[in-house]
Formats: sequence, C-alpha cells, structure tokens
Amino acid sequence: MEPQALENAALAAAGAATSVEEIENVRVEFLGRKSELKLALREVRDRETGMALNALRERLEDAIDAREAELERAELDRRLTDERVDVTMPGTPIRRGHLHLITQIRREVEDIFLGLGYTVIDGREVETTRYNFDALNFPPGHPTRSPLQTLFLDDETVLRTETSPSQIRTMESQEPPVYIVTLGRVYRRDTPDATHTPTFHQVECLAVDEGITLGDLEGTLDYLLKALFGEERRSKFVTHHFPFTEPSVEALVSCHICDGPGCPVCRHSGWIEVGGSGMVDPNLFEFVGYDPERYTGFAFGWGLERIAVLRHGIPDLRELWRNDPRLLGQF
Amino acid sequence: MRAPLSWLREYVTVDATVAEIADRLFTSSVQVDAVIDVGVPDVDGNVGRFLVGRVLEIEAHPNADRLRVCQVDVGEGHARQIVCGAWNFEEGATVAVALPGAFLPIFDQPLDERELRGQASRGMILAEDEVGLGEDHAGIMVLPEGPEPGTPLVDLLPIRDQVLDVTPTVNRVDLLSMVGLARDVAALLGGDFHPPDPADPEVVDGEAVDITVENFEGCPRYIGRVFRDVSIGPSPQWLRSRLFLAEMRAISNVVDVTNYAMHVWGSPLHAFDRAKLAGGRIVVRRARSGEELRTLDGTLRRLDPDDLLITDGEKAVALAAIMGGEDSEVTEETTDVLLEAANFEPLGILRTSERLALRTAGSNRWEKGVDPCVAENAAVLASRVLVDLAGARMTGHVDVNDGLPERPVVPFRPERAAKVIGVDISPDEQRTTLSGFGFDVSDDWHVTVPTWRARDVTREVDLIEEVARPVLDRLPYTMPLRRHVQGRLDKEQRLRRVVEDTLVGAGLSEAYTWSLVADDPDPRAIRLRNPMSSEQAILRTTILPGLIEAARIGVDAGAEQVALFEIARVYLPSGDRLPDEHWRVAAIVMGGYGEIKGVAETLYSALGLELRVERGSHRVLHPGKAATAEAGCLGELYPSLLEGVWGVFELDLETLFAGVPERIVYEDVITYPAVLQDIAVAVDEDVEVGALVDAAQEAAGTLLREARVFDVYRGGQVGAGRKSVAIHLAFQSPERTLTEEEATTARERIVAALAERFSAELRA
Ligand SMILES: [Zn+2]
Repeated sequence: MEPQALENAALAAAGAATSVEEIENVRVEFLGRKSELKLALREVRDRETGMALNALRERLEDAIDAREAELERAELDRRLTDERVDVTMPGTPIRRGHLHLITQIRREVEDIFLGLGYTVIDGREVETTRYNFDALNFPPGHPTRSPLQTLFLDDETVLRTETSPSQIRTMESQEPPVYIVTLGRVYRRDTPDATHTPTFHQVECLAVDEGITLGDLEGTLDYLLKALFGEERRSKFVTHHFPFTEPSVEALVSCHICDGPGCPVCRHSGWIEVGGSGMVDPNLFEFVGYDPERYTGFAFGWGLERIAVLRHGIPDLRELWRNDPRLLGQF
Repeated sequence: MRAPLSWLREYVTVDATVAEIADRLFTSSVQVDAVIDVGVPDVDGNVGRFLVGRVLEIEAHPNADRLRVCQVDVGEGHARQIVCGAWNFEEGATVAVALPGAFLPIFDQPLDERELRGQASRGMILAEDEVGLGEDHAGIMVLPEGPEPGTPLVDLLPIRDQVLDVTPTVNRVDLLSMVGLARDVAALLGGDFHPPDPADPEVVDGEAVDITVENFEGCPRYIGRVFRDVSIGPSPQWLRSRLFLAEMRAISNVVDVTNYAMHVWGSPLHAFDRAKLAGGRIVVRRARSGEELRTLDGTLRRLDPDDLLITDGEKAVALAAIMGGEDSEVTEETTDVLLEAANFEPLGILRTSERLALRTAGSNRWEKGVDPCVAENAAVLASRVLVDLAGARMTGHVDVNDGLPERPVVPFRPERAAKVIGVDISPDEQRTTLSGFGFDVSDDWHVTVPTWRARDVTREVDLIEEVARPVLDRLPYTMPLRRHVQGRLDKEQRLRRVVEDTLVGAGLSEAYTWSLVADDPDPRAIRLRNPMSSEQAILRTTILPGLIEAARIGVDAGAEQVALFEIARVYLPSGDRLPDEHWRVAAIVMGGYGEIKGVAETLYSALGLELRVERGSHRVLHPGKAATAEAGCLGELYPSLLEGVWGVFELDLETLFAGVPERIVYEDVITYPAVLQDIAVAVDEDVEVGALVDAAQEAAGTLLREARVFDVYRGGQVGAGRKSVAIHLAFQSPERTLTEEEATTARERIVAALAERFSAELRA
C-alpha cells in the first residue's frame, strides 16, 4: 500500500461524492473494517509506521466528515427550498368562542371597581315593591310604580326596574363603610325599538362612609368615564332628579366622536349623557337604620347597553339579544 | 317646553348670550334639549330690511284680477310701490314690509325688485308664515296702529329669535313657565328678575260667581271670574307669534289668553262659554260611575268615580285639569266667559290621564303638582289681557279654597352643605344662591321655602341640592377615603368567570336570551300579571329552549359552526313570595353526544372536577343519548327540535361549584414515572364503559392513576351482542418507581374483577 496514493485516491473520492449516501460509501471504502488502511494498520509492527498510518486515518476521517457535513448542508438547503409554501395561505381553522359584548363590558366595569376596592354584589331580579320602590323613596304615584312601566308578578312583587334594591339589601346586612357595585338584568315595560329592550343591564354603584362628598361622586365617575371611553375624555355633571338621591346629578362625557363641535352621536351638543347619580337620600339610610348625620354616600346607575352603543356603535339594541353568530363573532 | 328668548328677556334683564343662558340652565336647572334659531336669517344686516309700513294707496292691478298695487310708506320720505296678492287690509293699514335684498326663511334667494305683470314691486308685504311667526297664509299681518313707518319690525315682533327647548325634571314643574325659567336665569347669571305684574282689572257691575267645590282634596283652589261683552276674534300678531314660537296653536283671543297665561305662570287655565253653564254655575266633584263626557277633541269619555269633574251642577262640562268639554267650549258666538284659574291635586290627575291615555299641556303640569298660589297670578294676567284685547268687562270674581298651604321652614347649616358637596362655599354665597331661587333665609339660617317649591323642598338635604346646583361644575374631583374595602370577587363570581372563559376557550360563543318566555315546561313557572306580550309572559325555569332558538338563528344565518352557551338565572317557584333564583350554564353545539360531553368534561376539568353521569331522560333530549349529572342534564338534542345533530347541557352552577376544591395541592407525578399498560376486554353490549372504569379503579386502588377508555370495537371475533372495550391504564406511585410486576399484579386484579362482575373476557 502506498500511503500517499491512498490519500490522494481517498481525497479525490470524497471530493467527488455528491450525496450523503455516496460519502458513506467512500467512508466504508477507505476507512471501513475491510479497507486497505484498516488492514494495513492491523499489520503494523513498528511505531513509526503506526503513527504515520494513524495520522493518515485521522486526516481521511476529517476530510470525509467535512465533506459529509457539506453535503448534508446542501441537501437541507435543497429540501428547505423544495418545502417553500405560499405564506399567504390561511391557517388551520380553530373554533374560537366569544364572550357576549355585554359580558365584556360587565367585566371591564367590575374590574375597574375591584381595582378601586369595591365588592361586586349579584343581587336578585325578582323583588318586592318594598325593596324596589318603598325603600328607594319612590313617592306614591311615581310613574315607575305604574303597571304601565313595571312588570308585576302580583301587587307586591315586581321584576326589578333597576339594580338599586341590592343597595338596600346590602346596607341592611352590614354596617358602613359600604363600597359595592351590582351588575345585572333589569326589566321595564318598554316597547322594543332600536334604543329600548324590555330587559337590559345596569351597573349600580354605592359608596357609604363618613365624609363622602358630591365631589367624590364626580371624581369616581370621571375616573370610570376615562377608563371606559379614554383618558382624553372630559366629564361634566348637570342637575337632575331621582327619588333615591339628593342632590341628584346626571353625568355627561365629552363626545368621543367629535370631541366638542357636535355630531349626530352627541346630538350636536358635544356631550353625551351616560346616566344618573347622586348623593344617597337620607330616607334610604333611615330605612336601613344608618345614621344620616354620621354617614353620607353616593350612588349611580348606568345602562351597560348605553356603553355598548356609545363605544361600539351598536345601532339597534335588539341585535344584542338575537345572537346572530356574525354579530357575536365581531367582539 | 319652548321658551323664546325675546319673551324670556321680558322677565329677566341679564348680560348673557343665549349660549351662556342655555349652558347655565342645563348645568343647574333644566335639561336644554335644543336651542332653535327661528325667523329670518341674521346675516349682513338682514334683520334691518324688515320694517313697519303704512299703506297709503291701493289700486287695482291693471293686468291681474287677484293682485293689487299698493303705495307703502316705510319711512323713506317717499312711498314704495309693492304689488300684493292679499286682500285683508285697506288703505291706512299698518303692515310688515320686507325690502329688496332681504332673506326670508321661505326663499332660497334674497328678495329682488321685479315686475309683476308689468307693475314694479319694490318689496313685499308680509304674511306671518313668511317670517316664521305662524302658519297662516290667508292674508298678510295687519299690525296695530301706532308704530311709525320705518320702525324696525324686530322691535314689535320676534322675527329673529332663539327658542330654548327645555325639559324640566318632575320635581321642577315651576320651570314649565316663563317666570320660573326667568327666575333661575336671573339667579344663576346675576340678572335682574322682574315677573309680569299687570294691574288687575276692576270688577264692574259686580255679580256673584257661583262656584262650589265638593272635593277640596282633588281641587284645593278654584278662582272663577266672569267676563261679559267679550268679542271673540283672532289674537293680535304679537300674541299669535309668541304662542307659535312656544309651540302652541293660536285659536281665538280668549283661548289664546288662557294658553298665554299658562305659559307665563305655569298654572293652566280654562275658559267656559258661561251661557252653556246651567245657571252659570260651577260644581267640582268626582264623577259618578257610568257618567260620560264628550271632550274638546270630540271623543266621548267614559268616566270613573275617581275622575275629577267640572260640572254646572247638572252636567259635566270639563274633565278637570285635563280637557274641557265640547258643549261648553268658547265659540265665535260666545259673549260671556267664565274663566277658571284653579289648582288640582297631582295623583288623581295622573291616574285619570293615564287611564284615558289623554295627556295635555295642562295635565302635564298638574300631574307634577302646581303651586296653588300661582293660580292667582295667572288669573290676574289672563284677566288683564282679556279685558285689553277682547273689550270685555270683568263682572265677577270668587276665590274658593280650603286654605292655602303653609310655606315650609327648614333649619339649615351652611357648613354641613359645604361638607356634603365637597367644596368650600361660603355662607354668604349660599345665602345669595338661596335668595336668588326665592327662598327667604333668616339671620339664624331658618329657610322659608317659596310656595312653588314647597312640595319638593322640605328637608335640609333638599336645600343642600339648591346650593349645589350652581356649583356642579366647580367641584374638585376627589375619591372617597376607602379605609376598609374588599376589592375582590367572591368564589362564585370567580368561578362563573372560569366557566365563561373555559367555554369560550372551547370555541363556544356566549348568547343572551330573554328571561321571559312564552311557555315553560314547568307548569308552576311564574306568570307575570301584566306581561307586555304573550311572547314574554313567564319567568323561565330552564335556559335551554332560549338557547335552542339562538342556535336556530345561527343556522338560519348560514353559520357552518354553531356553538353557544349562556350563563343566566332561572326562577324556580319557592312557595314564598320571591322565587328561588338559580344561576345556570347551558350550552348547545353542533355535533352529537360525544361533542357536547367533551365540552362538559373540559368545563368540569377546568373547575377541578370530574364529570360523572348516569343514563337519564329529559324532554329536550334524544331518549337513547340522555345523561344526568348531579348538576343537571346532558345529551343529544331531540331530533325534531332543531335540524341536524346537536349536543346540549344545562347545569346548575351552585351544585357544580359546591364540589370545586378550595385549592389544588401538589402531587408528585414526575419523579417516579407511570407504568403504562393497556387492556381490551369483551363484554355484553349493555355494559356501560363507565361501570368498567369504576370497577377497575376499585379493584386496583390508589396505584391506578388513570383509567381511560380509548376504543370500543364491535364485530369480528367479538361476537354478536358483545363489544370489545380498550382501556388505557396508568399505574403510578408518588413515592417510588413501580416495578413491572407490581403493575402486572394490579392489572390482573382489574381483569379478574371485570371478569367476575361483567363476564368480561380479556382479549389483549
Ligand atoms: Zn359629537
């Protein structure tokens, strides 16, 4: 065996291999158990020849490994090129569920108030007139007491017309301080149209503590309005009248569409009404046995649908109850 | 209510624009729905092109029968020739004239000088509709004599005005009046308030007025006045225009005067043709059952004993406070008038007007509780104008009442007000505010409430509102102190969110369906007494029917995949006054039993629970594919209910949540790997795989970490009426690595137990 000739032949063969398979054949031929080199190594008697042949073996191994790596890389490159896809093809469909828009808003409001330290109260939907009207200071003859406006089960039982009865039940069950929100279904005898459904959802908030002020109410509502409609929104409060609050105010938010000059959404006023509020009427405190000299409080009740209309442009509230998958899937 | 600014400014002098007035009123007094520009455009001195003119000469038009050629003095030193088509005026008439160049609200182009059938016309003699002062186009406006030709028309008539459209809250009926609005404007903007204070006409040739009030509860006050020699006719233009801008129709001078006085003072009045009243009498009483009255609108009203009536002692002549009767109406023939300026109690009026579905400008005020004292102001104003306009003599006056209410006196603490409002308002400022609104404040802060607020303001807190109204936009935004709060959801609320999120994650969308339904499977379900429709008459005891309908909507909309859930309450009769309200979750998905059970298993697993079911039955479920769980039912929908194959469940959340572990405790499932072994056993077809798994679990004890059926095979060598069930077994100990032998022993115990209890034969 002529080492130099062997080396030349092996390097030539390795260089000529064009696939991983071929280089494997080269390896078997020149380095395999029956290869000329292996046989020669087995025959070696003197240290010098052994060292030379081993060095040759290592050189050949390195050369073949290098060529193999080269060929593998080339093969991978070729495969990756072949595997090219149209990346604009759609993905494998995965069924996606959606929370109802009102639930999303409900959670958002809940989370805002949880962050402020309020507790969420579920309340009940079927209520006595005592809790729905009397305790809330609705005077006799108030239109809401009329069967034209309220759904009655019998003379003394109604579907709650606002979430406020839960305020009374909560105050009856604990001493101040009270910081709660209630969210849920309420019922009125409104003929369904684009802006009314006979069932809708309210968020009701009540804070009772020592030293609560009308400024606290305005500050809290301003915080809520900014959280819901954007930090750049401004709020404004105007006088109103509700049986359960005194003083009573209506909250308005600067129009998020036109931001002032007026547009159809804000009916050209630059401001949008969001809901009623006020300082808890002392009559409510007397009903539940709180000392109205020591404690003051504020309350407000807003419609969640109103937020949906203003923020998401829902054109017809009845759509929120039809559950058309095309609508549910938008949110 | 509509309040024209020009009219309002007659009662309040204030240096403020209409925008400032509207803004202050809106913040502090009354909702301003709109500020409406009316009349002729206010551009380029346009208003100055409308002048008072005097007709000097009228000649027939040579070329047109229906036109006349007028020479009109408009103060220019020479007459203007104007061709006019109206015939309701003669030479010497004072008229309203628009000069060429004037923009009129009815035309797109300015008025120009032009020829009408060959005659030059240099201006226009105006009818009321041409300048936005009315709807009449039968003739031109003939103005009262007096003003010099060339006088700006705007000095006489509101040809250019802004009208506030306001809606007061129910407690502020005093703001349904020009005087009330003027008072608040003056107080809020530092203006000078001067309500109308005309001299009451003298009674001449005095006669008794026969008024009997049988029911002071319903009618606390009745001022009756008699006018004779009344000449009925149209009202003068200023009155017609005011009523028009205030959205009231001009009818005749007498009727117009009652509406005018109502609008000024907020206390409605009524005029009767006295000749139609038997003996000229008035008796106020409740209706008798079966009694009837034909009201002004021509409708025959069947009355109820609760309704309050104005009668003449023989017959009903008016539905008190709501609408007059047709028979006693003032007509062109009327010469004697009985003017009613009364006061009516609100609740009965509200009930009657609701029952008859009859709401009028009058009832809208009465039902909110009008101050009995202003009846007199309204009576005096109406009398004055009636005498002035209709040439009438006032011959009688009587004021029947049971004593007028006392003005409440309320002790007030200004420091308490500042504390509740949350801003530093000085006692002086509070005193000024209260006085401006008509409250009398004593030195020691006893506040006497004005009569027109006596129903609404009776407590200190009501006065605090009065002090707060003007400063609502001045308050610092603060947050309550919150020394003790618990800002977290309770367990049930948290778990409801887990349910929502899990089902959404499983690809279901949330639906909202009505709590009120047309029918319900539970015959005891609660029925509303006054439902809006038969479609929404019953409080549901189950959610599924609504959800099935929602799925149908989805199918009809062409959706390929419909998968819905709802979390809502059902209302179960409890035997007590209030039903039990239970939260439920229901779901519906396209696909069969396996599909919905997979959803349910995912839900249970998310809650840390294991779903265990038994064969069951339910009215909406396929009888062979219905299961019962502790919390509810699950299965394939009964085929005829909805086209296609659907799976549904409805579960009670309270029951479901009762089993949810407080917390999940760590278990070592990693250190010592599980030994996996599968078995397949043949059993009779009616053996439930759930029973096999339970038996396996029981036989193997705690070493069996998991037993899961992964295949059921029928046919071939299994034999008729038999099935082969393949079960995946995982044996694992948290303390050591199990040997193959231990696993095999456990597996053999399982096989033996299955053979013994179910005649199961091992196949692999
Ligand atoms: Zn806008």
